[in-house]
Amino acid sequence: MTNEVSPLTPVLTKRWLSPRSWTIGTYEQLEGYTALRKALKAHPDQLIQLCKDSGLRGRGGAGFPTGMKWGFIPQGDGKPHYLVINADEGEPGTCKDIPLMMADPHSLVEGIIITSYAIRANFAAIYVRGEALHCIRRLNAAVKEAYAAGYLGKDILGSGFDLDVVVHAGAGAYICGEETALLDSLEGRRGQPRLKPPFPATSGLYESPTVVNNVETIASVPFIVNGGSDWFRTMGRDRSPGPKIYSLSGHVTNPGQYEAPMGTTLRDLLELAGGMKDGIPLKFWTPGGSSTPLFTAEHLDVPLDFEGAAEAGSMLGTTALQIFNETVSVPWAVMKWTEFYKHESCGKCTPCREGTYWLTQILQRMVRGEGTPADIETLLDICDNVLGRSFCALGDGAVSPITSGIKYFKDEFLALCETNAVSTGKHALAGAH
Amino acid sequence: MTVAPEKSAELVVPEGHVKLTIDGLEVVAPKGELLIRTAERLGIVIPRFCDHPLLDPAGACRQCLVEVEMGGRPMPKPQASCTMTVAEGMVVKTQHTSPVADKAQQGVMELLLINHPLDCPICDKGGECPLQNQALAHGRADSRFHETKRTFPKPIPISTQVLLDRERCVLCQRCTRFSSQIAGDPFIELLERGAQQQIGIAQEKPFQSYFSGNTIQICPVGALTSAAYRFRSRPFDLVSTPSVCEHCSSGCAERTDWRRGKVMRKLAGEDPEVNEEWICDKGRFAFRYATAADRLLRPMVRDADSGQLRESSWTEALRVAAEGLAKARDEAGGVGVLAGGRLTVEDAYAYGKFARVALRTNDVDFRARPHSAEELEFLAASVVGTSPESGGVTFRQLESAPAVLCVAFEPEEEAPIVFLRLRKAARKGRTKVFHLGQWTSPAVDKTFGTLLPCVPGGEPAAIEGLFFNSGTAEAFEALSGSGSVILVGERAAEVPGLFSSVLRLAERTGAKAAWIPRRAGERGALDAGVLPNLLPGGRQVTDGTARAEVEQAWGLAAGALSAEPGRDTDAILGAAAAGELGGLLVGGVDPYDLADPELALRAIERAGFVVSLELRPSAVTERADVVLPIAPSTEKSGSYLNWEGRRREFGTTLDGTGALPDCRVLDTLAVEMDADLFTQTPAAARANLERLGATASTRRAEPPAVPAPPAPGAGEDGVLLATWHQLIDNGSLQDEEPNLAGTARTPVARLSAATAEQFGVVAGEQVTVATERGSVTLTAEPADLPDGVVWLPLNSGVSRLRRELGAGHGATVSLRPQARGGNS
Amino acid sequence: MGVFDPLKGFGVTFSTMFKKVVTEQYPEDYRPTAARYHGRHQLNRHPDGLEKCVGCELCAWACPADAIFVEGGDNTEDARFSPGERYGADYQINYLRCIGCGLCIEACPTRSLTMTNFYELADDDRQRLIFTKEDLLAPLLPGMEQPPHAMRLGENEQDYYVNGPELARKAGEVAQ
Repeated sequence: MTNEVSPLTPVLTKRWLSPRSWTIGTYEQLEGYTALRKALKAHPDQLIQLCKDSGLRGRGGAGFPTGMKWGFIPQGDGKPHYLVINADEGEPGTCKDIPLMMADPHSLVEGIIITSYAIRANFAAIYVRGEALHCIRRLNAAVKEAYAAGYLGKDILGSGFDLDVVVHAGAGAYICGEETALLDSLEGRRGQPRLKPPFPATSGLYESPTVVNNVETIASVPFIVNGGSDWFRTMGRDRSPGPKIYSLSGHVTNPGQYEAPMGTTLRDLLELAGGMKDGIPLKFWTPGGSSTPLFTAEHLDVPLDFEGAAEAGSMLGTTALQIFNETVSVPWAVMKWTEFYKHESCGKCTPCREGTYWLTQILQRMVRGEGTPADIETLLDICDNVLGRSFCALGDGAVSPITSGIKYFKDEFLALCETNAVSTGKHALAGAH
Repeated sequence: MTVAPEKSAELVVPEGHVKLTIDGLEVVAPKGELLIRTAERLGIVIPRFCDHPLLDPAGACRQCLVEVEMGGRPMPKPQASCTMTVAEGMVVKTQHTSPVADKAQQGVMELLLINHPLDCPICDKGGECPLQNQALAHGRADSRFHETKRTFPKPIPISTQVLLDRERCVLCQRCTRFSSQIAGDPFIELLERGAQQQIGIAQEKPFQSYFSGNTIQICPVGALTSAAYRFRSRPFDLVSTPSVCEHCSSGCAERTDWRRGKVMRKLAGEDPEVNEEWICDKGRFAFRYATAADRLLRPMVRDADSGQLRESSWTEALRVAAEGLAKARDEAGGVGVLAGGRLTVEDAYAYGKFARVALRTNDVDFRARPHSAEELEFLAASVVGTSPESGGVTFRQLESAPAVLCVAFEPEEEAPIVFLRLRKAARKGRTKVFHLGQWTSPAVDKTFGTLLPCVPGGEPAAIEGLFFNSGTAEAFEALSGSGSVILVGERAAEVPGLFSSVLRLAERTGAKAAWIPRRAGERGALDAGVLPNLLPGGRQVTDGTARAEVEQAWGLAAGALSAEPGRDTDAILGAAAAGELGGLLVGGVDPYDLADPELALRAIERAGFVVSLELRPSAVTERADVVLPIAPSTEKSGSYLNWEGRRREFGTTLDGTGALPDCRVLDTLAVEMDADLFTQTPAAARANLERLGATASTRRAEPPAVPAPPAPGAGEDGVLLATWHQLIDNGSLQDEEPNLAGTARTPVARLSAATAEQFGVVAGEQVTVATERGSVTLTAEPADLPDGVVWLPLNSGVSRLRRELGAGHGATVSLRPQARGGNS
Repeated sequence: MGVFDPLKGFGVTFSTMFKKVVTEQYPEDYRPTAARYHGRHQLNRHPDGLEKCVGCELCAWACPADAIFVEGGDNTEDARFSPGERYGADYQINYLRCIGCGLCIEACPTRSLTMTNFYELADDDRQRLIFTKEDLLAPLLPGMEQPPHAMRLGENEQDYYVNGPELARKAGEVAQ
């Protein structure tokens, strides 16, 4: 991950390999907190406009234009405004935010200060996944350093702008990555998604206007302030500009984080990562974590940005590319993912709570070799009853591996049923044992 | 249903409304209305579980999914109609017209059922279960679920009266939302997550809410069931009769379910003006007193030879009673009538008329509790005759009032539905609630209220202080807002000068004052003239015109009614104890509710002839010469006037039991005494009362004008006693209900840290509160009371203050720590 | 009226004299009923003697003559009458009202209530024709134990219902 390979565009990751990159000293040497000084001289509305012009889109999965999100915050409403950083990185396969916060926490802190200034927030919280203990320590240290250096607290750099930042450790629930569940959890309640509307922009943390942004999104902000929107748009594609950290995991020679322009294809990324591990051919992969429908070897040339992934029938998600070679059984992988969703379903709405419970049991039974072809129909029908029926997107995500797995690899599911037919001599009744 | 009306194009959209289409029908709906309600108004029922009109939307069950088109573009996913509000030009397709919505609903139904046990035959909800009904209407005929169901141990008691079966729960959160939003008792919460998500309580913190029964009623499955009603009957074998609660003065609408001559359960009735859809646990669970084994069913007369009561015929009992009363009236100084505070309007009217016509006296009083002459003046001047029609304070007005001041009134304990309204109003941020009391009780917290602290007896001084004290300026200013209300409770009668101060405050601020008695019958008895100074309809005894109206209507000779106000309860008892009264006619009065139980018992014993009309034996029965059994509210018809002055009429629930209402017994008794009351039935009594109509007299009663006394002190050695009734206590209408009793608040003695220190009392240890008459020992608990004050519940557990101490609110008592293991 | 009309009338009488007699000499001659004759009810037991009735009142609901009264009761640790939570604490059939239609046995979710072929239901005392649970319960077969007692055949009621037929067969073998 250095500058040697041309397709890479190290922006967010450029300081990661510097010695003691997480300290404020290193950060300041490498243009750290220069964007902040620049930003504090500008009018907050100019910053929002800059963000809009840059075309920066949320890096948490949904890809909502960040500038527009900031613009939704009602100004002059007399209520406090809040910035909340979603650092509850929990999507299977995703590991971009935690390395970023480990290696370069000050870029996030600087982004937070600039964003808070833009949306007129005087309090920001970083909601970090509780398991990432080391990361929480680094963040706390960084925030402390920033306070000591006068970047946080009262009257930041003489601008008259006050900001307090709190690092909050979650308790490790996948659902708390959903922004409203995150807000509830931050308030000390049960982490379950809230009803929308009202949206966080008008009634978020403590019923006040709140911006919830992903770590990578906010960490991009200082670079946009320094580089300008036109520079940002030189990378990536028209509707999805900028660099993006792609997390490659699984059967590749060199798994890790690769920062490349939006719209890079897996074929390019695989080249950067040294190709498939041991040369075993690619079988299937996820473009953005397990909640995005699977891709296969046919999709190697799909441009990985929000539009490209969607056109190919999936989603960009968190650009967590989990890559599986031909040794992996699709039904088994799908079962494992479904077990994850069953474990992580918050329980609030029926389709997700009961659907994942049921799907898991059917898949486990099929993997045991006790399934029937009718089970595949049942699986698809349950998925149809969960997709778009659940309260939040967790339910939608939970069924994507199943539906896409059956779409591309139905034969494998049927093959499992064959074993059942062979071993019992007849199609066994489901559950009859 | 799918045919659009012809003239739909001409639908006029008023201001603040939108036009939308549901299943092809155009409809105009107010902005902000939820789709599910709009559809319901059109007669289109969308199945639902978590939705409840009085709870905030949750969108948890996803059963109410519909297809929605906005601005000509269909939304990508079906939408929950219980959370989506109407919008201009919206096109909605429910399960009737949209295959997508229909499939979504059927899918959700199947998912709801996969983990639901097949308990229907043994489940208390079976037969009235929304899940059962909707599974039959929208579910599949067979199940595709062949896997392992999630199981839990069941049922687990979450309080002594609510049982939880987690297997049946569909996690709609109605119960938790009710508890946190409506009742403010968030003792139940969701625990765990995913398929293991469940309703639960914290360890050793049971669901001790006065409103917990409502969660049973709104549970859309049989997950929450009542311990008292467990397996008692099935809904299809019950007869449901609309009824009115007989406990407090809120007058809640109820539904009484009974079979084979026995009441099985009570449910909340719907009345948006009064109780909405809620009732308190006392109203719901306390009804078995009427079927207690000791219920009086036959008349009894005291045998002249043995001196014992013996059962007799009605004829004999009535003859003996009539002769005895007539003799006492004519030869022994007269008869006093104590009617009690739990009568229907019709029965109360009969008592009043019996006193005036048959006994020819004004010595009649319904107040079976501490009372005062000031209260009489207050009731005559400011309360009698008020009603929603005449502009009196109503539940709805509480909801829209900018400020409400509770004076000597503990809403949660004394009128729980008033408390719910106050909380609702305060929760929406419209109403500021102030409590003039002694400590921050749960009701103060739950109404988001402000405590205006004062010592017991210091309430008038505190009210006078509102005018100039800067610390309370906010309260005074808020009360000056148009529509503000002052609520006064029964305890005010124990504080001299308080009614006068309240009226002065009302005058200064423009706020309306309302009186909220604790018992269901008090307001009705007031309007029926069961007071020494009042005739029916608020007519004053001293008012000649009013008397003439009554004499004419009752067919009495002119001048037959005395112009002299009679004696009140205390004076009647005092006179009887002194031997000045020859007889007493006592309705449902428990001597231990009175300010001085010893005097009352002495008076009843001393009175030459005592007739008792009672449901169950009491201290009066033991001393009565004739005991006449009367009907409980389920076995008669009638009406209560609730505190608003709203008439709450109810019919007979259990017919043909042979029990007679008070009005019938008194009518027959009067006939034996050669007087006609025309109150043979409640309907006749009502007709007779209505014939009186409104008075033509223009004379208004003078409001009380007692100057506010300075706040009292208790001296060096004593402390002042603050006390009020708790909702669930030793009351005789709560007998035979062990499950209900288990949710009563534990009686404790509350006092400030400084007072505790002064008297050497340690929090958590026993403290003894005593008067000359006796003592009560309870656990001490610190609270924010003023110094030199101790609070005890009036009639809870061992804390029976009137019986043990002969003391009430504002009395001076002594306080001492109780040595561990010692005895007083 | 013709001359032969009286003879015509007797024709029926005469011809009947030579037909098979349908009169039954009851009670001297007691004939068995058809196998599925709707006679007196019976409340059946599980093979260990626990009652099958769960007191659900569905029979009472199904009854068109309102002849059945049921009230449920709560099984406790100390006193168990049936598997599961609920049992029929009070069970009465009024044979003055019963019309023998059998809708009750169709309604029974546990096959607790069935009908026997016993039809001698007559009495001169109305009270005695209201059969209570004691009258209706099936007799204890060998291997059965008079409730209340713990569940002998499994951990919970599922074991009784799911494995019921098998248990019944086993119990039958034991009985033979």
